[in-house]
Amino acid sequence: MPKCLVCYKWTLDEQDIKIKSEDLSLDSSRAKGKISDFDRNAIEEAALLVEKDGGAVDALTYGTGTVKQSLKDALSRGPGKVYWVADASAENADASVTANVLAAAIRKLGQYDLILCGEGSSDQFNQQTASRIAALLGLPCVTFASKLSVEGDTVNATRKLEDCQEDVSVKGPVVISVLSEINKPRIPSLKQVLGASKKPNEEIKLADLALKPEDLQPRAVRKSVRGFLMQRKNVIYKESSAADNVAKLKASLASEGLC
Amino acid sequence: MNFELTEEQQLIGQSARDFGKQYLEPIAVELDQKGEFPKKVVQALAKHDFLGLLLPDDVGGAAAGFVSYVEVIEDLSRYSAAVASIVNNHTIAAYSIQEWGTADQKKQYLPAMAKGELLGGFAIYEHGPTPGVGADALVATKQDVGYVLNGKKAFVRNAGEAGVYVVFATTDPALGAKALTAFLVKADAIGVKVGEKLETMGLKGCPVADITFENVVLPETALLGAVNGGAAISAKALAVASVAEAAQTVGIGQAAVEHAAAYAKQRVQFGKPVATLQAIQTLLAEVATDCHLARLGLRNAALLIEEGKPFEVEAAMIKSFLVRLGSKMLIDTCQVEGGFGYSETMPLPRLFRDIAGTNLLDAPGDFPEKLIAASIA
Repeated sequence: MPKCLVCYKWTLDEQDIKIKSEDLSLDSSRAKGKISDFDRNAIEEAALLVEKDGGAVDALTYGTGTVKQSLKDALSRGPGKVYWVADASAENADASVTANVLAAAIRKLGQYDLILCGEGSSDQFNQQTASRIAALLGLPCVTFASKLSVEGDTVNATRKLEDCQEDVSVKGPVVISVLSEINKPRIPSLKQVLGASKKPNEEIKLADLALKPEDLQPRAVRKSVRGFLMQRKNVIYKESSAADNVAKLKASLASEGLC
Repeated sequence: MNFELTEEQQLIGQSARDFGKQYLEPIAVELDQKGEFPKKVVQALAKHDFLGLLLPDDVGGAAAGFVSYVEVIEDLSRYSAAVASIVNNHTIAAYSIQEWGTADQKKQYLPAMAKGELLGGFAIYEHGPTPGVGADALVATKQDVGYVLNGKKAFVRNAGEAGVYVVFATTDPALGAKALTAFLVKADAIGVKVGEKLETMGLKGCPVADITFENVVLPETALLGAVNGGAAISAKALAVASVAEAAQTVGIGQAAVEHAAAYAKQRVQFGKPVATLQAIQTLLAEVATDCHLARLGLRNAALLIEEGKPFEVEAAMIKSFLVRLGSKMLIDTCQVEGGFGYSETMPLPRLFRDIAGTNLLDAPGDFPEKLIAASIA
């Protein structure tokens, strides 16, 4: 019966983010939070495994103070307990910092048979968290899983790659990243939502994770984020001959590297 | 008063939106065109606890409270007001049993209603000017043991699909509505006959029909509440229902304004999206404002119900507000989309019909302004 831990990220709902037309900067002042889409697949897969084979699912997240808003949502989706690390360092954390914090928290929590992550986060989509956690903990890693099953201490997974499928089996403990196609995350029923309040959650203080200052120093620094807008150029070719118009269009596209 | 929803209420609303997106959006057009009762969707609603939302947990309900209920109805209505209407009519029957039923009646009906195994219907209206009056009035005649029902109820929602109806009959035709009494009548009771389904303008898929009662023999245990206490039951139940119906209207209006806003952003006229034109902005802003204010009003009324406080005046206010503005929301959003908005390829005509159904059928021609005026003058 597997003991699973799902790592998830609390992100802004991209549907609520507006692009300011004057400078293409992002306005997220009215954006609500959500559990990253792919991480919902990871939570669902762990919940399905445990519903089928028995065992237990916990969840773990690292974010800014807003991460507390995610706890009931996460608990309504199957996990029995959620651990959370809230710290301002998450605001600018890159994949390296995120993995350092999560791996340190996992060391503190003890052994899990399966550690699941989404393929990537909805906001940054670096696709590095699972691999980095595995490296930091010295565990095997299976990425891009589209199918998963557990037999005793062996985990069988189908990895979907660009041009082929790969079936692998690995002895746990193991870190796994799942694709969105692996399942359809459940819509929590009202009783599951209301029952989430009765499930436990526990804060893990960053200070208790024995991390060095450099572990919290992002290696990739985000300088700016700007949206892009599809804009018409309103160029009309008015040559008398169609061939001339086509030639001008072709030259224009070529000048922009489009043909 | 705090209008901020709790975390649980927000998550329940999110579940309803996700449910609407997954289960209702794909069938909404077909439901409107064919009008067939969506059995599978109703089963899915039950699985997610939407049919037992208000009921206490000892009968298998979610006990989520009335504020959560109006959130759910609004969010379901954004995708299919017909399905929301099915839920509303079922819930008002379950609510009536929970409020006025005996312990045995609750035990008999509510667990199955919470699970969706038994759908409820609420039979109050008649073809006469008021229940209990007229040639077709439903009359309950006292027998040595129990009652016999004869007559007809009109415009019963969930008709033919419900397994139990909350039915109002007069025990004295001379007294008419003053002797109105509520009964629980099983759909398979001998003498209960559901008439032909009424072809309606909107809310298609939520069946509407007359029900005829011919010598329907009921035991004493079918009585809901006190003899001749039906008027008070129906008044309170309908007032509660009117708040949920307001949520239905707000959900339809929200769907309309979101569709119109998306259309206005991609529709280019005079070299720029029409969303940048002041006339269009005014229409969108007014509808969004109407929705927002109505939502606050109905949350206020819902909270009063949840806290067991007097709510009837606030319920009448929100009803009056939306009867005036509901159709206007749709006219304005249709204006934003111009000729395309009028086309059946767009959702606005369906939403227009559904909002008419909500205002005309679910909220029939009573006079909420009378109650409001009485509260201030």
